[in-house]
Amino acid sequence: MSSRIPVLELEDVSVAYDTHNGPVQAVNRVNLKVYPEEIVGLVGESGSGKSTLAYAIMRLLKGAAFLQNGTIKVMGKDIYAMSPKELQAFRWAQMSMVFQSAMSALNPVMTVEQQFIDTLRSHNKQMTLEQCRMRAAELMDLVRIDPKYLGSYPHQLSGGMRQRVVIAIAIALEPAFVIMDEPTTALDVVVQRSILDQIQAIQRKVHFAVLFISHDFSLVAELAQRVAIMYAGRMVEVADSRALTQTENHHPYTEGLLRAIPRLTADEIVIEGIPGHPPNLVSLPSGCAFHPRCPYVTDECRQQRPSLYEVGTAEIECHRYAGQKVVQHV
Amino acid sequence: MSSPAMQKTTLAVGQPMVQVEDLVVRFPIRSGGRRAWITPVDHVNFTIGRGEVLALVGESGSGKTTIGKALMRIVEPSAGKIVVGGKDVSHIKGRSLADYREDAQMIFQDPFGSLNAVKTVEQHLYFPLKKHRQLRGDDLYIKAGELLELVGLTPVRETRIKFPNELSGGQRQRVAIARALAVDPKFLVADEPISMLDVSIRAGVLKLMNQLKDDFKLSYLYITHDLASARYFGDRIMVMYGGQIMETADSRELIRRPTHPYTKLLLAATPGNPIREKLPETSNLAPNLLEGRTGCVFASRCPLVTDRCREEMPKLTVLETGHSAACHYAS
Repeated sequence: MSSRIPVLELEDVSVAYDTHNGPVQAVNRVNLKVYPEEIVGLVGESGSGKSTLAYAIMRLLKGAAFLQNGTIKVMGKDIYAMSPKELQAFRWAQMSMVFQSAMSALNPVMTVEQQFIDTLRSHNKQMTLEQCRMRAAELMDLVRIDPKYLGSYPHQLSGGMRQRVVIAIAIALEPAFVIMDEPTTALDVVVQRSILDQIQAIQRKVHFAVLFISHDFSLVAELAQRVAIMYAGRMVEVADSRALTQTENHHPYTEGLLRAIPRLTADEIVIEGIPGHPPNLVSLPSGCAFHPRCPYVTDECRQQRPSLYEVGTAEIECHRYAGQKVVQHV
Repeated sequence: MSSPAMQKTTLAVGQPMVQVEDLVVRFPIRSGGRRAWITPVDHVNFTIGRGEVLALVGESGSGKTTIGKALMRIVEPSAGKIVVGGKDVSHIKGRSLADYREDAQMIFQDPFGSLNAVKTVEQHLYFPLKKHRQLRGDDLYIKAGELLELVGLTPVRETRIKFPNELSGGQRQRVAIARALAVDPKFLVADEPISMLDVSIRAGVLKLMNQLKDDFKLSYLYITHDLASARYFGDRIMVMYGGQIMETADSRELIRRPTHPYTKLLLAATPGNPIREKLPETSNLAPNLLEGRTGCVFASRCPLVTDRCREEMPKLTVLETGHSAACHYAS
């Protein structure tokens, strides 16, 4: 896999928010590669930094948030070294994003078709109106909505249809890399399933890589080939999704999550919550940030941040796996 | 919990805690300039036994929250009967409605919206304890502490003086549960109580509700869209669609041997189901909720649909397997 050129390369990325008491790190020295045509899941609780990381990749950080450290490359190009003009041309053509709330991602006073035309024309001024319309209809077909809805306004569509439109707009320019930030969280299970099936089908057809952000572990494990797990700004584990069917040989946080989800079909359901609650980023615990909630905690965990170890096909940041090969990212 | 202060309902042996007969809730809408009615709850029958958890599963718009609100008497039924603890509460008002709140309490989905931002945790508990149980002074202080202990909000001394913004989502939901328990209820409606919580703390809240059920013989209506948690917490699962009950069965049975096509569709769509197949549906239309509709509400999405389904509404019938299903072709 490493022979291919990754579409996304995160090297030692930190994102911080400026506050009165100095910068607070929401993303802390994260490394990750996503390869062409791969679906990588990014899982974490609210406040773990997953959405902040997505906005950093899109170079959409606003207000007090800023890239504190590291480089972000998409298709081999450093996003933060681009001029605003280069970025404008690059964004959406090479990388795009599906936002969580479809209603606020669409313009309520423009028809669906106008929004397609907007997107297409802003990157290719030569496109005629007729070409834009044809492309829009083609994209609607791709996400399985009848093109007759092109003349509709967003409020006239159901939640599932809106999210499909948002996905269609995200892939309108055939980007190589798409970030999907909880695209199905607000939807019913049946609609969610049909959209996920569609994402997979479209992805096989037009080939793009996806970073799929979600808090739903079982969903991501089904959809993605690899899953990255974030906790308190750190990427604590990156594992093959197949490995997530077992509760052993993971980061203690991952193991906790796997035990916290009731299984649908198991004969006897025993669930075990993770004690405590996610930490406040302003006052992170010392050493490993998970140590106050960890059943395996030792003195070492309280004092020292663990290195990243290779455990089977996974990379895990935990002192329990000390003895294993250390992963050097940079 | 100690014995309640007011006259509480007494239940005859074998009588269900909650009995719902032919419940209808309808709302007016405007359709083409004229007034029309939709029926989010359309002739629904069910019972909940003492100490039993009935999980109500369905998609948004299926009427599950409206049923919860009708049971809490936040909305008044348009027709039918709701009997809780042997008392008909379908149309009670004023004083008797206030008294009813001592038997039935609700836990809401959003623990950020259901708590008062300018009140401390203990103030949230003092109000119901004063109003419904007439506690004052030391008794009040001690009882509030007991409740916090009960829902695992320890150390109590520190938690009681905190404001909601100082608590995590899971802790807030525990405060909401403690507040519901303050009046010593017999019956709780829990409307998606864990869906807004972080995954790592959901299990803790579910386990707490389960524990309380065992300790106090509480009956629950557990409203959720998540079949996996319904299976974990519910003794029975009732599946709703378009305001009607599609299928009811023992939780484990329902997951293992679903009979209604809609139940099968829901199961196929639920993440974590090891069987991956094409979704058994023919379209993704929203159900018709207008009053006077004919045929089966699920007909427009059902793979087994026939002319009979479009004309004749199937009745909820008990099958040999012990399931009840509303389908002409359920097997």
